[in-house]
Amino acid sequence: MAFRQFRALLRKDIVSELRTREMIASMFLFVVLAMIIFHYAFTVHAGSSSSSSGDLSLFAGGMLWVVFVFGALLGLNRSFVHEKDEGCLDGLLLCPVDRVIIFLAKMTANLIFLGLIQVLAVPVFVVIFASGRVATHLPAFLALIVLADLGIAALGTLLATISMNTRARDLLLPILFLPLAIPLLIAAASGTSTVFSGAAGGGSLLARLAFLLVYDGVFLVLAYGTYDFAIGE
Amino acid sequence: MESTSTAALDRFDRPAGLKLATTTVILAAAGVALACGLLVAFWVAPTDASTLGFSQKIFYFHAPIAETALLAYGVAFVAAVLYLRREDAKYDRLGVAAVRLGLVFSVLVLVTGSIWGKAAWGVWWAWDARLTTFLIACLLYAGYFVLRGTVEDDSRRATYAALFAIVAFVDVPITFFATRLLPAGLHPVVLGPQGSGMAARDLVAFLISMAGMTLLFVGLLRIELGIEALREELRDLKYRLGS
Repeated sequence: MAFRQFRALLRKDIVSELRTREMIASMFLFVVLAMIIFHYAFTVHAGSSSSSSGDLSLFAGGMLWVVFVFGALLGLNRSFVHEKDEGCLDGLLLCPVDRVIIFLAKMTANLIFLGLIQVLAVPVFVVIFASGRVATHLPAFLALIVLADLGIAALGTLLATISMNTRARDLLLPILFLPLAIPLLIAAASGTSTVFSGAAGGGSLLARLAFLLVYDGVFLVLAYGTYDFAIGE
Repeated sequence: MESTSTAALDRFDRPAGLKLATTTVILAAAGVALACGLLVAFWVAPTDASTLGFSQKIFYFHAPIAETALLAYGVAFVAAVLYLRREDAKYDRLGVAAVRLGLVFSVLVLVTGSIWGKAAWGVWWAWDARLTTFLIACLLYAGYFVLRGTVEDDSRRATYAALFAIVAFVDVPITFFATRLLPAGLHPVVLGPQGSGMAARDLVAFLISMAGMTLLFVGLLRIELGIEALREELRDLKYRLGS
């Protein structure tokens, strides 16, 4: 029963996104634009020789996750706007559905959209910034992305629910979300840097994966326990 | 109309939250303890033998402030959990008061840490695990007040604030461990696995300062709670005069 409800809610989000594609399109454009801006913002130092300019592989891990965290914010802000404006949320709350299922469906939808963007953007990113370097720890890199996305989606969905119920709405989400996302950013960015540098940092990579796992677990449990209060009556 | 407002004004004379006598005693005790802590720190405790030297004295101020800030966030966390379970507005007031003090103490941590950093490490700021954690905690709990400012309905505001206080409190240790993932910082480990690492006389100074700072927090918290109660009463009065 619960799973059928979950599937129906998830299907609703995906179908409504596929009808307009506005969220995925704007997130993807944002991510690519941010990459271009990073390139020019960090390669304009004076007197750079042509050989050294443009090689930002040292900073690639950090840039990748800055781009994704901000891109995810864009999507998270949108994810509840329609529900609220069109009265869909009121309908959902009237349905005999556990609030936690609403949360899980919304989180999964956000996770899928973020994942889709990354499927498109990560290869572009690797070509532009990591000089096409093939990752030596490809499975670990994928695990890193999945775990970091899960954390972003879990925490982001909870906070987006809170912020859409306030007067400030999309203004508030970054203020609440970013400081809480700093640990995630540290782990994901440093792990990704290890991957891109091709160094034999397997052990430290594992520590970052374990950290992300704990982070995801903590915030999933927190969101699970408090979502009733967040979504309101 | 006339009679209700005078009755309300009578009540205003003795607001429930502001028990000034007890608060004064607590604050006086805090003052005495902090002064004693300073005296012991400067005249009894030996000057640090390592490179820190005299600048280490700020430790007797800096570390108790840091621990009191964490205590304040802990109080806010407990108040938040209690609010969500009982929905009693007094826990919301306790939460705001505790977070406000926690924020003040955190800023003091950053300031004293910065001063000490300049003396000990030669830089005003280092991206050290503990300093960074406090910086992020400051930003988090500043967001708490932004959140409160954007919700009009009282119970909604209290609920969201409580939720965020819980999430934020859980995040503070996580942030600390995350910063530990990066190469080691410069911070001295005072209470590590090898024991306190302090001589007995240092420890006395530290504990006295710690007690003083905690008492200061309790006293200030009582004042804050009284102010919150007064504020609520004032709003009630305004509302009744207006209608």
